[in-house]
Amino acid sequence: MMWSEKYRPQKMIDLIGNEEARKLLVEWFQKWKKGTKPLLLVGPPGIGKTTLANISARDFGYDMISLNASDVRNKKNIQEILEPVLGNQTVLGQPMIFIDEVDGIHGRSDYGGVEALINILKEATIPIILAANYDKSDKMKKIKKTVKLIELRPLPPRLLRLHLNMILKKEGTKITPGNLIKLILNANGDIRSMINSAQALVTGFEPPTEKSFESLDIEEGINAFYKAQSIDEARVILYSMHIDPREKINAFYSSIISSNISNSELDNSLQIISEADILFGRIMKTQDWRLLRYLDAILLNLYKKNSTIRYSQYNLSWPVLNRIRWDGAKIKSISNTLSKKFHISTSTFATYYFPFILFCKKNNSLDLQFDEINDEIIQKEIDLLV
Amino acid sequence: MKFDGTCIICNEKITVNEIGLWAKGLGVKHEKCAESNELKCMICNNSAGCSECEFHDDCDRSIVSQLCICKNCESNNEPFELYQKSVINKFALLNINSK
Repeated sequence: MMWSEKYRPQKMIDLIGNEEARKLLVEWFQKWKKGTKPLLLVGPPGIGKTTLANISARDFGYDMISLNASDVRNKKNIQEILEPVLGNQTVLGQPMIFIDEVDGIHGRSDYGGVEALINILKEATIPIILAANYDKSDKMKKIKKTVKLIELRPLPPRLLRLHLNMILKKEGTKITPGNLIKLILNANGDIRSMINSAQALVTGFEPPTEKSFESLDIEEGINAFYKAQSIDEARVILYSMHIDPREKINAFYSSIISSNISNSELDNSLQIISEADILFGRIMKTQDWRLLRYLDAILLNLYKKNSTIRYSQYNLSWPVLNRIRWDGAKIKSISNTLSKKFHISTSTFATYYFPFILFCKKNNSLDLQFDEINDEIIQKEIDLLV
Repeated sequence: MKFDGTCIICNEKITVNEIGLWAKGLGVKHEKCAESNELKCMICNNSAGCSECEFHDDCDRSIVSQLCICKNCESNNEPFELYQKSVINKFALLNINSK
C-alpha cells in the first residue's frame, strides 16, 4: 500500500503545519450560515488542501461533493451539476461542495464557466470550498472578490523531516541522514511527493541520480518501472512520472513493440495499452479529466517482474529504422529526379510508379542508368520485391 | 495603516493607525513580524534556531508555515507526539474529533 494513502491524515490534528490557516477554516465552518462567503484555499500542490477539505467536511457532518475544474468548465456544466445540489438540500442531506484546481479554469476554454461560478459563489446556500495552487491570474482575482481566502504555506523542511521520521518509525525502517535531507529538499514542501519518494527509496529502489522521481525523465521512468522489484515500487514510479498522458502511453507502446518479448507477453501488453488508449480517447472526447486518475491504474498492469522491456523512443526495430533513414533518403532523391521526367509529383512517383519501375528494371524491360550508389539501392529494392 | 489588514506572517489583524509594512502584490505585515526572521518552535515556544538549522539555506522563512520545531525538541524521544500535544494546547479548536 502507498504510504501516502496509509498515513493520510484522518483527523484535523493529524495534519502538520499551517495551524493558523486550519484554525481559520474551523472557525469558518463553525460560523457558517446561509450567505457566508465561500472559502478559497490557496497553496502549493501536495500541501493537503483536498485532505483538509475532506477532514473538515467529515468533522462537521457534511456530505462533500467533490468537483474539479473540468466539471465547471462551462456555464451549462455548472448549471447542470451545481444547481440541483443548491436547490435540493433536504433530499441530499447536508451537502458541501469542494471544487479543486479552480485556477485550472483559464483562457478561452471556460465558456462562461467562471462567471457562472461567481454567480453561485455570491449567493452560496451551502458551504463551498475552492482550492487552487495559484491565485494571481485575472480570473482568480475575480473569484477572490467573492470568497474568503485562506493561504496554506509550504512546510519548513524540519517539519517535513518530523513527519517523515514519524512514518519511518511506524514502518520500522530508516533512511540515511544524507538521503533524508535530499528527499526533503527535493520535495519543495510537497508532503505527498516526499512520502512517495521515501517509500520508493526504502523498498529498494534508489533513484538513478540525485533527483527524486518527480524529475525522472521518460526514459529513466520507463526503465525504472520495468526494473522495479515489486508492484508497489512500480506504482510509485508510475505515479511519479508527471508527463503528458499521451506521451506516457506512446512511450510504453514504443518500448513494448520494439522489445524482444514473447508473443503472449506482447499480446497482453498491447491489450493493456489499448485499454489505456481508449480511456485517454474518452477523456479527450468528453473533456472529463477526472477519469485521468484511472490511467495509471491501467498502465500498472504492464508491470511484470524481471521483464526485459526497456525504453525505446521509436516504435520500429533498428534495422527497419535504419532502412527508412538511409535508404529512404536515397529513394527520395531517385524519386525527385524521375518524377520530373514523368511530370508528376514526387509522392505520386514513389507511391504508384516506383514499384512498376522496379519490376521493369527487374525484367530488363526498361533501361535506366543509375550511378553506382543508386543502382545499389535499386537492386536492394528489387530483391525485396521477391 | 490607512485601512485594516491581515498580517501575512502571523495572520493577525493590523488595525488602522497601527504601523504595518506593505508591499504591492505581497501584502502587509506587522513591523514586529517583519523584523523577526526566525521561525518559532511549536513545542517550546522559543526560537526554532533558524540561524543554526541545517536547512538554513533552503528554507525561505518568509513563505513557509511560521511554526516549526527546534533541534532540542526534535531530538526528544517522541517529537511528533509532543508536536501534536502542543498543537492541541495552542490551537484547541483543531482537536475536533475528541470533543
